[in-house]
Amino acid sequence: MTNAGIVAEGVRRSFGNVHAVRGVTFQAPEGAVTGLVGPNGAGKTTLLLMLASLLAPDAGTIRIGGVDPVAEPAAARAKLGWMPDSLGAWPSLSARETISVTGRLSGLSPAAATSRATELLTTVGLETLGDAPARVLSRGQKQRLGLARALVHDPQVLLLDEPASGLDPQARIDLRLLLRALAAEGRTVLVSSHILSELEEVVDDAVFMMQGETVSSERVAEAAGRARTWRIRLAGRDGVSAALPVAQALGLDVATLPVDRRDVLVSFEGDAAAAAGLTALVSAGLPVAEFSAASGILEHTFLDLEGGAR
Amino acid sequence: MNASRLWTIARLDLTQRIRTISWYVLLGVFAVVLVGTTALSFLSFSYLDDSGPGVYSVVVLVTLLLIVLVSPTLSGNSINGDRDAATLAPLQVTQATTTEIVLGKFLAAWLTGLTFAAVAVPFLVIATFGGGVEPITVLASTAILVAETGVVAAFGTALSGVLARPLFSVAATYLVVAALTIGTPIAFGLIGSSIASERTERYLTAQYDPTTGAPVCEDGTTNCASDLSQQVCEEEGPPTTSRIPRFDYVWWILAANPFVILADATPSGFTVDGYPDDLFGQTKYAVRQAQVAPDLDYVYDECDPEQNGPTAEEVVASTVPSWFIGLGGQVIVATLLLWWAVSRTRTPARRLPPGTRIA
Repeated sequence: MTNAGIVAEGVRRSFGNVHAVRGVTFQAPEGAVTGLVGPNGAGKTTLLLMLASLLAPDAGTIRIGGVDPVAEPAAARAKLGWMPDSLGAWPSLSARETISVTGRLSGLSPAAATSRATELLTTVGLETLGDAPARVLSRGQKQRLGLARALVHDPQVLLLDEPASGLDPQARIDLRLLLRALAAEGRTVLVSSHILSELEEVVDDAVFMMQGETVSSERVAEAAGRARTWRIRLAGRDGVSAALPVAQALGLDVATLPVDRRDVLVSFEGDAAAAAGLTALVSAGLPVAEFSAASGILEHTFLDLEGGAR
Repeated sequence: MNASRLWTIARLDLTQRIRTISWYVLLGVFAVVLVGTTALSFLSFSYLDDSGPGVYSVVVLVTLLLIVLVSPTLSGNSINGDRDAATLAPLQVTQATTTEIVLGKFLAAWLTGLTFAAVAVPFLVIATFGGGVEPITVLASTAILVAETGVVAAFGTALSGVLARPLFSVAATYLVVAALTIGTPIAFGLIGSSIASERTERYLTAQYDPTTGAPVCEDGTTNCASDLSQQVCEEEGPPTTSRIPRFDYVWWILAANPFVILADATPSGFTVDGYPDDLFGQTKYAVRQAQVAPDLDYVYDECDPEQNGPTAEEVVASTVPSWFIGLGGQVIVATLLLWWAVSRTRTPARRLPPGTRIA
């Protein structure tokens, strides 16, 4: 096995009668950002705890950069950086101390831990709050501190549980750029989130989890291939008056086309059908101002899978 | 085990504690209590030429009392409280081992308890102004105070790792401390009196001539009134029986008591009459006396002037010290509990206590 990223095979974990994770098999390659997508209670956090070497799986194998976190937790911890869904911050420590203490415990010398803390505060945009006690930080600022703490020992594999929650728009853009940069350096980044539009813009690939199980790639492909809705807006027209020309150009019955505010909603079977539809609209001389998928591919797949599961 | 990581974890706990205002309020209250204690003990022991040992012993015992009362709150939630606050897992994913985390927290709790002892230092210095405090007393009592503070801190830290809920582990620590401090005398008293033995008591009283009222003497004369040993004593009435508690069977129960350990281990002085000159000695005398088996065939002879019983000094000299057994037992139990806490806190966790989450 040469994959230096994350490999999980047949991983299971239950708590008493609750089968939190029932069968997880996936790979997250190095140099890429992989999304972990699933509804609440799908077992994402439990899976991340097992990957982070905090929880032992009941069955199955995990490799973090080729290391088994159950057999060699210390070696796995040297390779992984884990950011929990809520930062447990030591209330009276400053952000700088929080990072440097973690650095000290990860084997950095006092001087190295201090300079690393300063560096990471800049990376996550907390340089002005470095000496404020952690308890006064807002939720978004705590998330950024959690990310800095996960990065302190320069890990090869990053496990991020809901990193974007509580972040303002600018911080989200910064996070996205940071994650892309980390992946570009050859690291493995696994991000769990249910803000799918966020994930869409940063992930290279996604792992879907439903009821404790990873969804097979065939089922994902099938779900992704199903008809999706597109939003069409014509310049200078409202949705109602745009519906008739759009229906005529596409050869559809105007009564079947829903209207949402200024947009007409049209369903296409995949990207090729959508492209053909746009060509038809343009060649009919319609002033197309906007033509976009109403939902991202992740969101669409997610909703389709969840609908199928119910 | 890595000393620098151990100290980093201990310092992490200590830093958080010393940055809270309530911590200083607690130390202030403690100092006020000691002011009152010191002043009152100077008054209590003013009848002695050297009031130093008395005052010193009271201040040390009150310090131990306050440490024993406060320590469970400071240490009894150190591990499960961190888990509740989600600050335990961030430590566990570092290179710090579970042993380092548990022992680091224990060290922090111990040092916190010792801060109270440090507040007591000025009062102990004042106590020595009363005169007569021996260096060996200071040395021994300080060593035992430090050790007992560690034992209570270890119990609290270990129970916070063994039990899932902070409230429950703090209460359990208090129960353990109460069992040692209050439970041991209660068990001692109850068990000792329930296994009482029958004792026959005979009283020989000095005889006086019924008509003249003159004492009856061994040599037949009547001039022995000033010398009891020459007087004739005879038994009056049949022997009586009574049940007396057998504390000599259960005295070892008290060996587990922190205050008994402190008093028993500290060498203490005696007055010229053979009475203890401090509270350590008085406690030690009371506990050592329980080792002496009662005389089940008791004869009180008025004509035997030697029969006044041994002095406190003689009792202490003729009985065995037990503090090292008590302290040793506590250290063993505390070590086993800490080891259990380590195995319960180990990650990757296989079993989780019901109702807890790891992060």
